[in-house]
Amino acid sequence: MAMQTLTLPKQDQTVEDKIQQLRQLYADSPMGKAALENSIPALRQQLAGALRYESAGRVGLRQGKVSELTLIFKFVPGGAKRLRGLLQMLQANFSAEKVTTVHDMRFVFLDNDTKLLFATAYDGDSWDSYLDEFATKIPDELDLLFSELEEFPGFRDPSVKDWIAKYQIPAQSWYVAHPDLTVVEAARQKRVNKAVEEFLDKIG
Amino acid sequence: MATQTVNTSKQNPTVEDKIQQLRQLYADTPQFARTALEHTLKDLASVASQPRSRMESAGRTGVRQGKVSELTVIAPFAPGGAARLRAVLQARNGNFDDTDRVGTVHDMRFVFLDNDTKLLFATAYDGDWDIYIEDFVAKIPNEMDVLFSCWEGWPGIHSPKVKDWIAKHQIPAEGWYVAHPDLTVAEAGRVKRVGKAVEEFLDKVG
Repeated sequence: MAMQTLTLPKQDQTVEDKIQQLRQLYADSPMGKAALENSIPALRQQLAGALRYESAGRVGLRQGKVSELTLIFKFVPGGAKRLRGLLQMLQANFSAEKVTTVHDMRFVFLDNDTKLLFATAYDGDSWDSYLDEFATKIPDELDLLFSELEEFPGFRDPSVKDWIAKYQIPAQSWYVAHPDLTVVEAARQKRVNKAVEEFLDKIG
Repeated sequence: MATQTVNTSKQNPTVEDKIQQLRQLYADTPQFARTALEHTLKDLASVASQPRSRMESAGRTGVRQGKVSELTVIAPFAPGGAARLRAVLQARNGNFDDTDRVGTVHDMRFVFLDNDTKLLFATAYDGDWDIYIEDFVAKIPNEMDVLFSCWEGWPGIHSPKVKDWIAKHQIPAEGWYVAHPDLTVAEAGRVKRVGKAVEEFLDKVG
């Protein structure tokens, strides 16, 4: 059964093949060409590495336990002004804390306040379960944040996932410093560290 | 010198003022959005009165929460740039040991937009904008040029203009959330090591 829908690089290519191919591609870029030659010794190691990321499910990439989701939507008229007002009120106080799968998320206004870029790093077995959890736990907050976008059906509407998939742009590449660390695991590790410090203080 | 400042909200208004202002802003929206606002106002009131960690400036541009900052750049590809970058990224197979060495990058993504005419680069990183960029310039200049010479007008990592170029194409976020604003990449590494040592210790005594 074909599980993998990503466009994956050929795995049988040797490092030398890859370097050759890159040299051809960079031949027309004066700055890139020089930089490529300078970085080939270091690149060699990375070109030899196994594939680090995999599909996050329906759309997007995952590295280890952490996936990326990048969306660009059009605002409805007046939508940018309302969302800006809301974000300024909220500062960084999002109910996302109730959904303990969000590492980070950003709201960036594009093209003269006509579009919204929403980009997040999240934990999960799959794209579907991530969105299901959001829709179950904080539908009102999500409706408020996304109500200013064109064609938004509302988070209680079964078509909301299709709407998101339609506007998601999968990354070509995705890097995570700690791919083994979920948000929950990071919290647990912080508690363990705190306990160790207290323990050492007591015996010290 | 005028540094770019983050558009932070006024510090004075009370929670009630803020709620009133939001109701006005959302007065013209469809019923479901106003309903969503009313449903969430109670939660909003509690978070607004107990801010967990405010958004602040990341330095020259961009936003920081706690120790973690955001950088989002969108710029047009140079001719042939999309094909070059795609090939480099595929050849790397997601291996960014060089970025590991820099040690301040939580995550980063490369997203091709508008039919391969623009590149979106978005990252979460530790600390201050200027120091972050300087760190990359010092540690992995060639790798940076291989990746970012795909952009139209990229001046080169050794050019004195490179910071101005990045700042010019960066779009500061209006909203930025980090789950663990106290955890730098290095600190997360340390915390994991301590956790592992504790497990080994408990295994031995257990």
